Amino acid sequence: MPLEAFQVLSAALFCIGLYGVLARRSAVLILMSIELMLNAVNINLIAAAAHMDQTAFTGQIIAIFVITVAAAEVGLALAIILRIFRNRSTVNVDEVDLMKW
Amino acid sequence: MSEPLFVIVAILTLGGGLGVVATRNVVHAALFLLLSLVSVAGIYLLVFAEFLALVQVLIYGGAIIIVLIFAIMLTRSQEYPRISDNPQWPLAIVAGLAVFGVLAASFLWNLPPASEPEGPGLAKIGESLFTKWAVPFEVVSLVLLVALVGAIIIAGRAGDRE
Amino acid sequence: MPETNLTSNLHLLLPEFLLATLAFAVFAIDLLLPANRKKLLAWVSVAGLIGLLALALALLWGENEEMYGGLIKVDSYALFFKSFFILLGIFIILSSVDYVGKHLSHPGEYYGLILFSVLAMNVMAASREILTAYVALELMSFSFYIMVSYARYNPRSNEAGIKYVLIGAFSSAILLFGISMLYSTIGVTHFADISATLANAGDASPALWVGLALILVGLGFKVAAVPFHMWAPDVYQGAPLPVTAYLAVGSKAAAFALMLRLFAEAFMPSIDDWQIIVAIIAAITMTVGNLVAIAQHNIKRLLAYSSIGQVGFLLVGIAALSETSPLASNGVMLHIVGYSFTNLAVFVGIIAFFNMTGKEEIADFSGLADRHPFLAAAMAIGMFSLAGLPFFAGFTTKFYLFTAAANEGLLWLAGLAIVNSLISLYYYQVEIRHMYIQPAPDMEGKLEPASAHNPHPPPVGGGAEDASRHSPTPLIIGVLILMVLGTFFVGVYPFPIVEALDAATSAILPGAGS
Repeated sequence: MPLEAFQVLSAALFCIGLYGVLARRSAVLILMSIELMLNAVNINLIAAAAHMDQTAFTGQIIAIFVITVAAAEVGLALAIILRIFRNRSTVNVDEVDLMKW
Repeated sequence: MSEPLFVIVAILTLGGGLGVVATRNVVHAALFLLLSLVSVAGIYLLVFAEFLALVQVLIYGGAIIIVLIFAIMLTRSQEYPRISDNPQWPLAIVAGLAVFGVLAASFLWNLPPASEPEGPGLAKIGESLFTKWAVPFEVVSLVLLVALVGAIIIAGRAGDRE
Repeated sequence: MPETNLTSNLHLLLPEFLLATLAFAVFAIDLLLPANRKKLLAWVSVAGLIGLLALALALLWGENEEMYGGLIKVDSYALFFKSFFILLGIFIILSSVDYVGKHLSHPGEYYGLILFSVLAMNVMAASREILTAYVALELMSFSFYIMVSYARYNPRSNEAGIKYVLIGAFSSAILLFGISMLYSTIGVTHFADISATLANAGDASPALWVGLALILVGLGFKVAAVPFHMWAPDVYQGAPLPVTAYLAVGSKAAAFALMLRLFAEAFMPSIDDWQIIVAIIAAITMTVGNLVAIAQHNIKRLLAYSSIGQVGFLLVGIAALSETSPLASNGVMLHIVGYSFTNLAVFVGIIAFFNMTGKEEIADFSGLADRHPFLAAAMAIGMFSLAGLPFFAGFTTKFYLFTAAANEGLLWLAGLAIVNSLISLYYYQVEIRHMYIQPAPDMEGKLEPASAHNPHPPPVGGGAEDASRHSPTPLIIGVLILMVLGTFFVGVYPFPIVEALDAATSAILPGAGS
């Protein structure tokens, strides 16, 4: 499979995630969409490393770190979401909106 | 030989992704995400990045999805299981398609030279992580610690003084 | 690559190792201390930081070493920012002590998180490679996500936290996709390699430029440049006050330390391509930030928009970067220093006021000059400096930046920046007018109703044990004095600092003589 196939796939997944972030109201669903975007990044990195950077495979190393940071981010974000839910019984980001312009 | 495999895995990945952003049911969204992420592990296998495929399944499938489902179960609201979206979702579709157009065009403009994918193998990745990339490795271990401490502080109940 | 040189200079990383050790020590001591002795943690942190500052200066002065094959570099640029971040950490901890004691739980972790964020900022300033810079940026961001949400039962703090995390993760994803596009076209991530590749990339693939654009967008979100700024006012308003101060000063300084190095060392060969884009973003950011600030009633939101305006000024400096002249690079760094003293003067004043009264609306500051003249004077000095009046830090630093912009032919940008300075003068003088000219509301014997933005009002008519309600503590006064002195120092006699800046600039822009 040529590299550009993987790149276009990664672009498509990135944009699906982008749509999710913009269109969803629940914080948990926005978080899931961000995970899609991060996976798209990883596809691009790993495919590029496998095709083009076979001696230094930097892309695969970066991908490992991206997975790690994404996991930590999910944990932290869900902790905050749980706290909001306990305080206010909602996780929709447009209902959590005390502060205006 | 690998073309049909790629097409299948790509369809699963994108289909799972579409499921996450379009479904009306939160738990289904989590399951679609699981489908998508495990298919991504399949993509990694297609470029011979076996270790990363393993990590992907373990971390994403084994940890992140589980934690997400826990959080969904703990934060059920009256809307469960039907959820509604932002009223501006058509704009979001336009934005998504526009960005995809730009990205795909830039990727396909100058095609990279044809090459066969090759994976480095686990030993080399390990050696590289602990020698050449030691600094980000140490910093990311602190990232994990900070995330852990933060999650406990924010979501925990013990030791309240307020 | 020879393996031997990877650990040969490990002692150069001693400040970072000790910083992490200090943070762990604070966590550990927290477990042993009884609940009413928690202030000791702050003193331990500050003492440790002072020791680390001395160690860093003694150990790293004049060093110019790359480590781990170019991942991080220990040079004057890194040392300048390390010293700055450690000092910033000291001042933030000192200004937080009273606030944390009264309003927040888990003080040990709070101070530990500040220490970890200082560590992350140090690595951000020293990194010469994209992955290292990104991971350090995430460590800093995580510390801030947690600190912003620290007031767990305050709904505004929760809201600020979730908005900040989601926007932060979103912008990280965009930044990373840009990095992946960069990597997939040129295959290298060290700044020096990127620079070499860009210099020869005559007919580079458009994927490279789209990648650079995405990196700019991601970084734009992180520093709250317009149009990526929507999260900042809500997050600044919802976070606990000392965290807002730290966010306004620290996260911006670290992000710009990273950006300055990135643009100077990695993207310089393509400057003709990105200069105009950065200039336009700078122009929009300054203007929107300053114009919207005029309409604000809450002082934290006002400072958030003012902060956005300041980011615009800093971006002017980035746009004006040049390989031959150190003015722009010096200007950005000097502005970071001056802006930090200045902003902290205002913020610490607000913290002192909040510790006494629990209020943060602009109208609440009425008549402050009669009740607490020093507090009002310090805040007024800070605001005059933010507006860019002569003799204060704001004037000198903006002068540098605008001269650098004019030098690079960006006269329109310099002119627009001057206009924006004048606009900012308007909304600062509204606040100063409140403090000096408006009469004070009658405060005796009034019970503040518990409102959504202040769920825990201090008890009314506090007795002798609550003396801090009636006048600022000596600690805060001390910090305020230092901030005001710093503001004047940078404004009137910046030359010693400029010498340090020249050394720093020559570390990242070797061709820029002064």
